[in-house]
Amino acid sequence: MTKSKKEYHSTTSRRDFMKMLGVGAGAVGLGAAGVSAGGFKDLDEMMASPLAERHLPFWVKEVDEPTVKIDWDNFEMFPGPEGTLFNPASWENPKDYFDIYNRNIASTKKNVQDNVPGLSLKDRALADANCWGWGGRSGADLSAPWAGADVKANPQWEHPTMYYTPEDYGVPKHEGTPEENSRMLRTAGRIMGAADMGFVKLDEKTKKLLWGKITFENVEKGYAEPEKNKFVLPDKDLWAVCSVIPQSLWMQQYTERMSWASSNTMSYSRANIYANRLSVFLRGLGYQAYGGNTESIGRLVGFGVMSGMGEYGRAGILVSPQYGTNIRTVLVTITDMPMAVTKPIDAGIAKFCQACKKCGEMCPSGAISMEEKPFWGGDAAWQAKGIKGWYMDSKKCYDFMLGGEPDCSRCQTVCPFTKYDEAVLHDLIRISIAKAPALDSAIRKMDDVFGYGKEPDTKKTPWEIDPMDIPLYGLDNSRS
Amino acid sequence: MRLVSWIWFWYVLVGFIMGGGAVLIWNVLKKASLMPNWYEWILLVLSFITFMFMGQTFIASFQEVEPRAAWLSLFFMGVPILLMAVGLFRSLNKRYIGN
Repeated sequence: MTKSKKEYHSTTSRRDFMKMLGVGAGAVGLGAAGVSAGGFKDLDEMMASPLAERHLPFWVKEVDEPTVKIDWDNFEMFPGPEGTLFNPASWENPKDYFDIYNRNIASTKKNVQDNVPGLSLKDRALADANCWGWGGRSGADLSAPWAGADVKANPQWEHPTMYYTPEDYGVPKHEGTPEENSRMLRTAGRIMGAADMGFVKLDEKTKKLLWGKITFENVEKGYAEPEKNKFVLPDKDLWAVCSVIPQSLWMQQYTERMSWASSNTMSYSRANIYANRLSVFLRGLGYQAYGGNTESIGRLVGFGVMSGMGEYGRAGILVSPQYGTNIRTVLVTITDMPMAVTKPIDAGIAKFCQACKKCGEMCPSGAISMEEKPFWGGDAAWQAKGIKGWYMDSKKCYDFMLGGEPDCSRCQTVCPFTKYDEAVLHDLIRISIAKAPALDSAIRKMDDVFGYGKEPDTKKTPWEIDPMDIPLYGLDNSRS
Repeated sequence: MRLVSWIWFWYVLVGFIMGGGAVLIWNVLKKASLMPNWYEWILLVLSFITFMFMGQTFIASFQEVEPRAAWLSLFFMGVPILLMAVGLFRSLNKRYIGN
């Protein structure tokens, strides 16, 4: 389904914007001065562009020689990292190394045992979580084992107490009220990479959101036998920690597919790193963690809905009031740490989806249902019954996306809830959608009139942007 | 990031301009013995709020790389501001001539 190529986004950078703002008369003429389009033919051409230069502040000058004196004639090559002080073999007396090593263990243990603020069990657990994957020397694998990250410190290369458990420290596991635990996890989650977090207690209903192959046994710790496709959880009180992993809206403003350079799959990569960190954090507090990657637990949109991270939308994906549909996944980790549950939400989103249909209209594969009202479905083999929602024709989506047109995220990008969050106007619109559904159709029309979610100008390319104007990891900081 | 670091400067500047403008208008009205009545106050406050809102939307839309939204917000909010300003001016002018 080909659509007309209309203006989508200007590539005016924030730096250009500020320059223009500074030229007084100020704002007038602002939009007219977009940076000229026209991509580079190859990497050489791009490198030859003035934009490839590094832009330093005026008070920083480039010099031919560094400010540290180097005697290149007598400069020795260093043998390698094994020659550094981190390797006891490089010490004249290795015992000196292990004295320091053991002092570190003793002082770290004492701080944890004395619950010193900033150096307590939860602080150590978070530090270990953030160290996950460091140097690849800890048996770290991007996709963690199902029953939690299997990590241990290399005594010669990493902090001696890295990946200690409460048992190793000689302290009881972390104890807090469910509310305190939830608060603590949300704090750690934001640092480790979750945009938002919710918690669902596993009960007779919510257990149905798990994969059917997951079973419960009367064991102290769950386990997996992947070769038998057997995944076991302990039959005790368990909670699902639901973490929202956002994807880059900034990256999606480019190219026809609106998912330039795999902003969507890049988020899966971040999600797996996050899953390991969360797993290490829970382990460091003395609790169990199950999941390990983005595919190992069950119906992630379902957990997202039940934990109040968003509502079930027309495209069959989660729609968050803050992030719209621009969420790559709700990563679910099962734990035995007691959590205060978060309830489902109603922000008028499902109602709005009835009037909007923008994702359906813009879907290049025609996979998204255009039925006005939600319906009972789930007749296809890859679907499950039990939801009165909009069932999409996933086969069409799959066929389009993997049949030579990779990385489509158009339904997510065009959703009226998917916005940068600089303009206060967006909040007023969200309030209106929640409180005055009679205006839903008008809001959808205005969304079009204002130019949101139009197809991108394919001539524009991110390679022309000043690299320092690109948000880190591509994640815009207006909403995170 | 750079924008976040320096944006305070623009808000301070806007604050000064708004404060100075308010003092100026107040002095002019006082000199002409033209204290706004209740509905003129409402028009004044409403147009001020709308003006501030329009400015925020205009600048923020460029930050969001949505130029069309920026210019249209200028139009959709600018027209009511203009109408309110004209109404206010006519009302005050009528009383000034009457004085």
